Amino acid sequence: MSHSPLALAVGDLEEDKAITLVLDKLAKGEPALAILEELQAGMAIVGQRFEECEYYLSELIYSADIFKKAGAPLQDELARCAPKSFGTLVLGTVKNDIHDFGKDIVATVMSSNGIKVVDLGVNVEHQAFVDAIKESGATLVGMSCLLTTVFDDMKAAIQAIKDAGLRDQVTILIGGGPVDEATRDYVGADHYCRTAQDGVAAAKQVLGVS
Amino acid sequence: MATAEGLYALHEKRIRDAVALKKPDRIPVVPNGPAWPGRAMGVSIADIATNPPVSRKTIVDAYAGLGEIEGIQSPAYHVCTLSIQWLSRVKRPGRELPADELWQVDEAEIMKLEDYDKIVDQGFGPWLEDYYRTQLPGTLEEMGAFVATIPDALQLCRDRGLVAMTPAVATIPYEYFCGGRSMKEFLLDLFRHGDRVQAAMDAALPVLIENMRQTIRGLDLMGLWIGGWRSASEFVSPRLWNRFVFPYFKAMVEAAVEEGAIPVLHYDANWTRDLERLREFPKGKCVLSLDGKTDIFKAKEVLGDHMCIMGDVPPALLALGTPAEVTAYCKRLMSEIGPEGFILTSGCDTPIDARYENVKAMVEAVA
Repeated sequence: MSHSPLALAVGDLEEDKAITLVLDKLAKGEPALAILEELQAGMAIVGQRFEECEYYLSELIYSADIFKKAGAPLQDELARCAPKSFGTLVLGTVKNDIHDFGKDIVATVMSSNGIKVVDLGVNVEHQAFVDAIKESGATLVGMSCLLTTVFDDMKAAIQAIKDAGLRDQVTILIGGGPVDEATRDYVGADHYCRTAQDGVAAAKQVLGVS
Repeated sequence: MATAEGLYALHEKRIRDAVALKKPDRIPVVPNGPAWPGRAMGVSIADIATNPPVSRKTIVDAYAGLGEIEGIQSPAYHVCTLSIQWLSRVKRPGRELPADELWQVDEAEIMKLEDYDKIVDQGFGPWLEDYYRTQLPGTLEEMGAFVATIPDALQLCRDRGLVAMTPAVATIPYEYFCGGRSMKEFLLDLFRHGDRVQAAMDAALPVLIENMRQTIRGLDLMGLWIGGWRSASEFVSPRLWNRFVFPYFKAMVEAAVEEGAIPVLHYDANWTRDLERLREFPKGKCVLSLDGKTDIFKAKEVLGDHMCIMGDVPPALLALGTPAEVTAYCKRLMSEIGPEGFILTSGCDTPIDARYENVKAMVEAVA
């Protein structure tokens, strides 16, 4: 598959080149939405290289930052034309856990792959997940934790979603340091995501995005 | 009945045999982690975090009460050690958190980009002292007071015939800077300001090595942790890892061995990709301690004839599993990783909410 020079610049982590290409395209009057799609194609290259173990978390973070910086000049026009997202993810670190790093990475990588993220932050009350699903109409929920002590909070948050009659509406992804498949079974989530990129792949699968 | 000194000698021999890749008469069990003992013994986590006389007694009583163990990784604890090595603030039980909750590192970008240059200009030692005083006030004083209590913790262990295997912690500049900058900013620094970061690391390394040497000599340590968590292979591409991680570990490990101490590579997260590189560390002198994320069976395959392996009953298994599941996993570890060159313990710390009967099952698996 051939890629545009801009997509390749993002995929190859060539920050200056990516920024320059975006500015050139804007100067030539290319629509912001089309440029955004090229940037997203670049992130898809990054995702592929991550899956092939050529890239690691370090490259995921750097590429997401390149995406953000290169995409900054597009924001005014994008705000007017409201680009379509593939779907919405409600995301948070569960109650009694304040660790935000993993959750933030997921937010960044999901956003740069065209998934709208409603980031509830850390130490999120169970009911806040329920409220955010109702308000956003999200079909995806991401829960993160770094402590085994909050597995019960994760379970309770999922129970709250169930109690609100929303469980069938959402696919629940979980991740974080001590989380594994056994945790997924214990808390009643749908997918355990070992990495942020695993989360993107699971989300895209659920949303039917290739 | 064996005297404490007799037991200590027996336990020490088992551990040293395992490190030397020999087959001990029994696979040593050396549990780890300060929080679970507090929960198990009904002691407030706030006391475990900040009251060394209480924490050392609780740690030793809790683990020794489980059955026969050869030692404890560290019988001494104070939560200030996290701030010292992460260059980060820590939310504490009894202060920002309820008294019985676990402490949590409050990751934030406290260290600034220009600090890399200051480290080179001022020297790492003076810069670090200034950083602690201005950004983490009170930490140095707490650390000084805590360090003065470590000999008492070592003696408490010895009086019970137990080896305090790794009562001190050292790490590479990467972990300090990553904690101070926050992981995201730090990883971006590696791409955008790699030369500045490396210059600061090169300035910090000799100071950290000298501090480690003094600690080994001052406490007459058998071993110490040389820890890695955010520098794990799973987070960093080989190009960055080979430049910013491995050479610094190698220098620290070689210095520790030169001092006669056993470097216990306490490696959290997944290091499977780079196991082969660890063959560059001195043979039969180090321990690779894994937390359940690195493939310990692959580690045996790659390093089994070179380095003692320690671990790795996963925290989730200790918290959520059954005693039968824990026993089955431990038996598998003992037969596939051991019996020579293996030490049984939890993956990283025994989690605070580990079921008592599960931790007991781990200890009793070596019977």
